[in-house]
Amino acid sequence: MMAVKKKFPYRAAVVACKGNCGENKACKYGCIGCGKCVESCKMGAISIGENGVAVVDEDACIACKKCVKECPQQIIHIHECANYIVVQCSNKDKGKAAKEACANSCIGCGICEKTCTAEAIKVVENCAVIDDTVCLSCGMCAVKCSRHAIRDLRGILTD
Amino acid sequence: MYTFKVNGKTVTTEEKKSLLRFLRDDLHLTSVKDGCSQGACGACTVIIDGETCKSCVPTTDKLEGKTIITVEGLSDWESQVYTYAYGEAGAVQCGFCIPGMVICTKALLDKNPDPTEDEIKYALRNNYCRCTGYVKIIAAVKLAAKIMRDSYIPEKGADDWKIGSRVHRLDVEEKVLGYGKYPDDFILEDMCYGSALRSKYPRARVLSIDTTAAKALPGVIGVFTADDIPGENKIGHIKHDQYTLIPVGGLTHYLGDAIALVAAEDLETVEKAKKLIKVEYEVLPAIHNIEEAAAPDAPRVFDEEESNIQAHKYVSRGNAEEAIANAAHVISHHFETPWTEHAFLEPECAVSYMEEDGYVMVISTDQSAYCTFHECSLLLGTDKVRVQNGLVGGGFGGKEDMTVQHHAALITYLTGRSVKVRLTRAESLLIHPKRHSFVMDFTMGCDENGKIMGVKAKVASDTGAFASLGGPVLERACTHAAGPYAYENFEIEGTAYYTNNPPAGAYRGFGVTQTCFATETLLNMMADEIGITPWEIRYRNAIRPGGVLPNGQIVDDSTGLVETLEEVKEEYEEALAAGKPVGLACAMKNAGVGVGLPDWGRVRLIVEDDEKLHIYSGASCIGQGLGTVLVQMIVSNTDLKRDDIVYERSNTWIAPDSGTTSGSRQTLVTGEACRRACEKLMEAKKDGVTLADLKGQEFYGEYLAKTDPLGADVPNPVSHVAYGYATQVCILDPKTGKVEKMLAAHDVGKAVNPLSCEGQIEGGVVMGMGYALREKYEIDENCKPVEKYGALGLFRAHEIPKVRATVVEKPGLKVACGAIGIGEITSIPTAPAVTDAYYRLDGVRRFSLPISGTPYERKG
Repeated sequence: MMAVKKKFPYRAAVVACKGNCGENKACKYGCIGCGKCVESCKMGAISIGENGVAVVDEDACIACKKCVKECPQQIIHIHECANYIVVQCSNKDKGKAAKEACANSCIGCGICEKTCTAEAIKVVENCAVIDDTVCLSCGMCAVKCSRHAIRDLRGILTD
Repeated sequence: MYTFKVNGKTVTTEEKKSLLRFLRDDLHLTSVKDGCSQGACGACTVIIDGETCKSCVPTTDKLEGKTIITVEGLSDWESQVYTYAYGEAGAVQCGFCIPGMVICTKALLDKNPDPTEDEIKYALRNNYCRCTGYVKIIAAVKLAAKIMRDSYIPEKGADDWKIGSRVHRLDVEEKVLGYGKYPDDFILEDMCYGSALRSKYPRARVLSIDTTAAKALPGVIGVFTADDIPGENKIGHIKHDQYTLIPVGGLTHYLGDAIALVAAEDLETVEKAKKLIKVEYEVLPAIHNIEEAAAPDAPRVFDEEESNIQAHKYVSRGNAEEAIANAAHVISHHFETPWTEHAFLEPECAVSYMEEDGYVMVISTDQSAYCTFHECSLLLGTDKVRVQNGLVGGGFGGKEDMTVQHHAALITYLTGRSVKVRLTRAESLLIHPKRHSFVMDFTMGCDENGKIMGVKAKVASDTGAFASLGGPVLERACTHAAGPYAYENFEIEGTAYYTNNPPAGAYRGFGVTQTCFATETLLNMMADEIGITPWEIRYRNAIRPGGVLPNGQIVDDSTGLVETLEEVKEEYEEALAAGKPVGLACAMKNAGVGVGLPDWGRVRLIVEDDEKLHIYSGASCIGQGLGTVLVQMIVSNTDLKRDDIVYERSNTWIAPDSGTTSGSRQTLVTGEACRRACEKLMEAKKDGVTLADLKGQEFYGEYLAKTDPLGADVPNPVSHVAYGYATQVCILDPKTGKVEKMLAAHDVGKAVNPLSCEGQIEGGVVMGMGYALREKYEIDENCKPVEKYGALGLFRAHEIPKVRATVVEKPGLKVACGAIGIGEITSIPTAPAVTDAYYRLDGVRRFSLPISGTPYERKG
C-alpha cells in the first residue's frame, strides 16, 4: 500500500480550506485550485477535489512539505494524523466579510475557544488555530462550530 | 427520530441530547462514565464506526445510522482478555478511567494487532488517568495484544494471595467491564436531583434570599436555605467552620459557598430554578493571597474569627540558630509552591434516600464513610444516618470533606425523597479543598563534610475559605521539613491563612510535598558547594536504624533510606558517567495520623450465610486497593483461601470505624486490626472447626497506633508509628531536554502486593512530575479558579518517561506484618529531583513550581 515506510507518529499535509465559497470565489484566502501542490507531490498524495480545492490522501502523504512550500496561498500545513480535528479555513476577514465569502468560513466568533477544555484552540487574526501539542482531539470545537469550519477528518463527528 | 445501533441493538430517540447522557440516562449503560462532560477526561469514550469518540461530544441527532460500542458490548472473549490483561498488568486502581481505556485498547487492537509502545501511548493519549501514571495501562494493552494474537489466556502470574504475591486485584473485573457502581451509577426509582446555588462573589454579605419564584416553578420539589437546617449549619472535618448554606446576614467565603439548595424532578428544572433565586449581596473586598490576609488592617474572612490566621505551628529542637551560626557552609533561599488540583477522574456525587425505619441513607464517594456520617449527623441534628461507600473514583485527599453528601442528606431529610447531588466538573474544580500553596524561607547550615548542622525555616500557607485539614497539613509540612536525616538542630514556624480562595486541605503528601521541595533543593545546592554529589550528601546524612530524627524520634529497624539510596546508585552513577543531567532527592513520610491523636484501625470479620468470611471495615478504598490488601492479610494469617473471603465496601452500620483514608494509614493501621481479628478467628478454628461451623459468628480486631503528641515531655517522643522512605532520580535526555527516565526506590517495610505497590509509585511519580513541570490551578482576580479539566496540564500517556519503580523491603515494623503505607510518599521527592536535573541541564536554579524553561511548559 505505502510506497515509503513512514515514521510514527505519522504526519500528513492538510489543506485549510473546504472550498465552499461557491461560483463567485469570493474568498481571497482559500485554495485557488492552481494545482501547484499536485504537481509538486511525488507521492501522488494530493489532488484537486470536487470543490476545486486540493485534497490530501493521508495514507499516501509522507509530510515532505513540498506542497507547503509551493502553495501560493500558504494554506497547506503539516499536522500529526493522530490530531484528526482540524480547522479547514484560512479566511482572515472579520465576521461579516468572512461570512459573505464562504458558507464554511471561520468568522472568528470564538465559540471554539470558549468550548475547548484544553485551551488548545485560539482565534488568531480572525481565524481559529489549533495547537496540536495540547489538543485532546475531542472534537467539541468541531461540533459547536456553527460554520462547520472545523472538521473531524475521520468523518465521525462531522462530515 | 434518530436511529442508530448501540452494542448491536437498534435504538431510536426523539430527543436531541449528548450521546453520553443518552447512553447513561436512557439505556443505563453506566460503564460510560461522566468525568467532565467537557471532552477532556475520556472516561466516556465509546467506539463510533470503529473510531474512539468521547461520548459527551456528539449529540444524538448527528448519529443517524452509526454503530456504537461500549464496554457492555464487548464479546465474552474480549471481556475475558481485557479483564485478565488489566489485572495481570496491575492497570486498575480507582477504575473510573478504565472503561474508556478498555475502549481505546479495543479500537487500537481491532486495527493494529501488534502495536508498538508509541502507538499504544498514542491510542491512550486523549484519555486521562490520575492513579496509574499510565505505565501499567500501557503494559495491559501490550499484554492484551499478545493474548489476542495467541488466542490464548495464560495462567495468572500469581494466585496464592499470600502477602508478597502479585495477585490481580479483587476489583479488576467490575472496573474493566464497568458494572461496579460509583454513586453516579445508582439510578433509584423516584429519584430527584439536587444542586446548590453558589455565591456570586468571593466575599460578600448576603442581605436577602428570595426563593419564591424558584419554588413556584413546576417540577421543583423544594428550595432550601440556612433556615431549613435542623442541626448545625457549620460542619467540618476537624474544625467546624464550613457553612452548609450561607445564612442571610452571613458572609460568603469563596465562590463555592452554597446559598440555597434546589431539589427538582430533573436537572434542567434544577438549573432553571437556581436562576430564579434572587440574592441581594453587599459586595466586600476579597482577600486574594497570604500577603493580603496577613496585612495588619486586613478585612477578616470570617466574622467569627479574630484574625485571618487559621493555624500556627512552631516546632523546635536543639538550637538551630546557634548551629547555623557556627556552620562552615550556610545557604538560605525563598521558595514558592502552587495550588494543585487533585483532578480525580470521578467528580463528587452522593445519592441519598429515606429508609423504612426513618434513617437517611447516603451512598457516597469519599475517604471516610464515618466522616460523612458524623458531619451529616451534625447537620441534621440526628444520628439516624447511614453511609455506604460506592466505588470511589480517586481521592488523593480531595474527598475528605463534605461537598455533596451533606446536601443530599439534607434534601432527603427535608423531603423524604431519594436524591442525587453531583458536582459538574467546573463545580468540582471550585469546591473541594486543594493542595495548599506555600511560601517558604529556609536556611541550612552544614559542616565542611556536608553534614547538616541545623535547619531553620518559616513557612506560610493559603488555606482558603475554610479550615478543612489546613492545620494538620501545616503541622506535617513543619514536622517533616527537616527531611529524613540525622541531625539535632531544627526550628520551624508555620502559619496558615484564611483567604477568599477555594479551600485547601489534604492532598497526597499532606504538606510534606511543599517543604520537601525546599529542603531537598537546599541540600542539592549544598552538595555543590561542598563538592560532593547529591547522592553522597544524602548518604552521609541519612537516618539509619537506631538513629534520632530531628523531631527526637528514635527510628526502628525498618528504616530503609540508605537501602533506597543504594538501590538507585548504579544507574545514577551510570547516567552521570554518560554525561546526562541527573537530579536526585529523598523523602520520608509517616504512615498513620500520629502526633498523639487517637488513630484506630478496626475490622470485623463475619461468617455469613454463604459460609464465607466477610470483611467489614469502615475504611474507604479510594482506588489504592485496600480490599486486596485485607484479603492478602487474611490469607497470610489464617488457613483460608481467597475464595473463602468476601470484601465489603465501607459502611457505617456493620463496619466499625477505621478512620479516614489519609496519611498513608490504611495498610498499616487497618491491616494490623485485620491481622488481630485473624488471630481470634484462628483461635476459634482450632481443632478442625470449619467456616461453616462458625456461621453467624464474628471476629473483631482493633489496633491503636499509639503516638506521643508534639512537644511531649519525653526525651524521644514517638511522633509516628512508622515512616516510609524514598529516593527518586530524574534522568534527562540532554538532546531533547525531556525526562528520559525516573527511578523511584521506595522502602515500604513489606509489600503486601508488590504489583499494587509499583502502581502506587508509578502513579505518584507521574503526579509529582505534573507538580514539578506543568500543572496549574490558576485563580483569577475574582478568586475564581480554572473551570476546564483539560487546562490543568495533567500528564498524558504519550508524555510519560520510563519509570522504574522499585519496592525496597526492610523488616522491623512489628505490626501489620511489617507493611508501611505507600500512598503519599510516591509524589513527594519527585519535584526536587526533577528540578535539580534541569539545573544540571541548563545551570538555572529554580525555586518555584511548576518550574519554567522546560519543554513541558505550556505556552500562552
